[in-house]
Amino acid sequence: MSGYVFLFDLDATITKAEILPEIAVKIDKQQEMRDLTERTMTGEIPFDHSFLERVKLLSEIPVSTVKEIIDKVPLNEKLVDFIRENHERCYIVTGNLDVWIEDLMKKLGMEGHYFCSKAEVKDDRIVSVDHVVDKGEVIASFAGQPFVAVGDGNNDAQMIAAAEVGIGFGGVREIAPAVLKCATHATYSEDRLCQFLKQLL
Amino acid sequence: MSVSKTIVISCAGMGTRLGIGSTKALIDIDGKPLIIRQLELLKDFDDIRIVVGYQMEKVIEVVNSYRKDILFVFNHNYRNTGTGGSFSLAIKHAADMVVSLDGDLLVHPEDLMRVLNSDKECVCGGIPCTEDPMLMKTLTQNGQIYGVGFSREEGEYEWTGLAQVKTSRLTPGDRHVCDMLVPLLPLPMELIRTKEIDTMSDYEHAVAWVRSGYAD
Repeated sequence: MSGYVFLFDLDATITKAEILPEIAVKIDKQQEMRDLTERTMTGEIPFDHSFLERVKLLSEIPVSTVKEIIDKVPLNEKLVDFIRENHERCYIVTGNLDVWIEDLMKKLGMEGHYFCSKAEVKDDRIVSVDHVVDKGEVIASFAGQPFVAVGDGNNDAQMIAAAEVGIGFGGVREIAPAVLKCATHATYSEDRLCQFLKQLL
Repeated sequence: MSVSKTIVISCAGMGTRLGIGSTKALIDIDGKPLIIRQLELLKDFDDIRIVVGYQMEKVIEVVNSYRKDILFVFNHNYRNTGTGGSFSLAIKHAADMVVSLDGDLLVHPEDLMRVLNSDKECVCGGIPCTEDPMLMKTLTQNGQIYGVGFSREEGEYEWTGLAQVKTSRLTPGDRHVCDMLVPLLPLPMELIRTKEIDTMSDYEHAVAWVRSGYAD
């Protein structure tokens, strides 16, 4: 056994779609959301800033409704199987908000195994974002522990660069150039990703 | 085939001698990029790793347009390492048996399949035909030829870059694949027909070879 732990991005890595744009569709703000998401993924706008903007855009939707939408976002099921089968060694590292994704994390068997941004909720509405995840800080907490990282976006690059095995996954959307520059591996197929992850166990 | 097998295609190099401004794996061989001609022969294999470096985005794009279930391995240091550097990155966490195939090598389909469908270790030699060949010293025992060394000066056969060995026996290195194979010698040699593409004249020969249906 390799002893690696496995860190996964959530949006467009485990999910088959970006979560925030899926929510934006509900309130007809997909264009604004798409623009912000694109510019974040390419590194044009810093992740923190863009994330707060995107949350603001969605803050009029009740948290319970967001959870229902997230519950319906399709998942890369084979990757989900890998995570469930190896849940003790797997962690999710996502910029997404705790109050939105907690049910999804339960569904993945990842309770206590995820790092995310945190928000305060009153009367089913987000009133403030108290913490935006810093993926660099998260990997620092794994100091000395060799890990595998899987992701696709600009904000995954730091985690992928620090990994022993850093994998760009382009099965849902194109892999960000910053990830291609520092990854050790890349694949565009979920089957191939899962085969390699099993070889890394 | 009973053992699990990883096939490594090294496409990280720059192909400077050819002077075509693209990595050699992308060179058009009678209507198709060389890398696609190689992949067409590998359709029954599920663990294919393509090492990319120079023009990585372009190689990835061309490969993806043909087949998605490929694992790309990045050799970010391709300017300073040889094929051994690329091969060493790709054999980490590989299957029991690993095959090394250079991205600038055209192998006769029958010969490639003979090697790939076997579970035995081998190094593959050809009749010397390139300008500055790396030669293989050999000895013959009970009708089987064995590769016993690599040399610029002497040897009957030319080292082709194609080899199949047990992954666990390899020690990583950053020079050439043949340097990594030296500690494993002697290894049975398979005689194969190939065209390596280093120069424009090699390229023309390779195209003519494919057009003629790989006639000698």
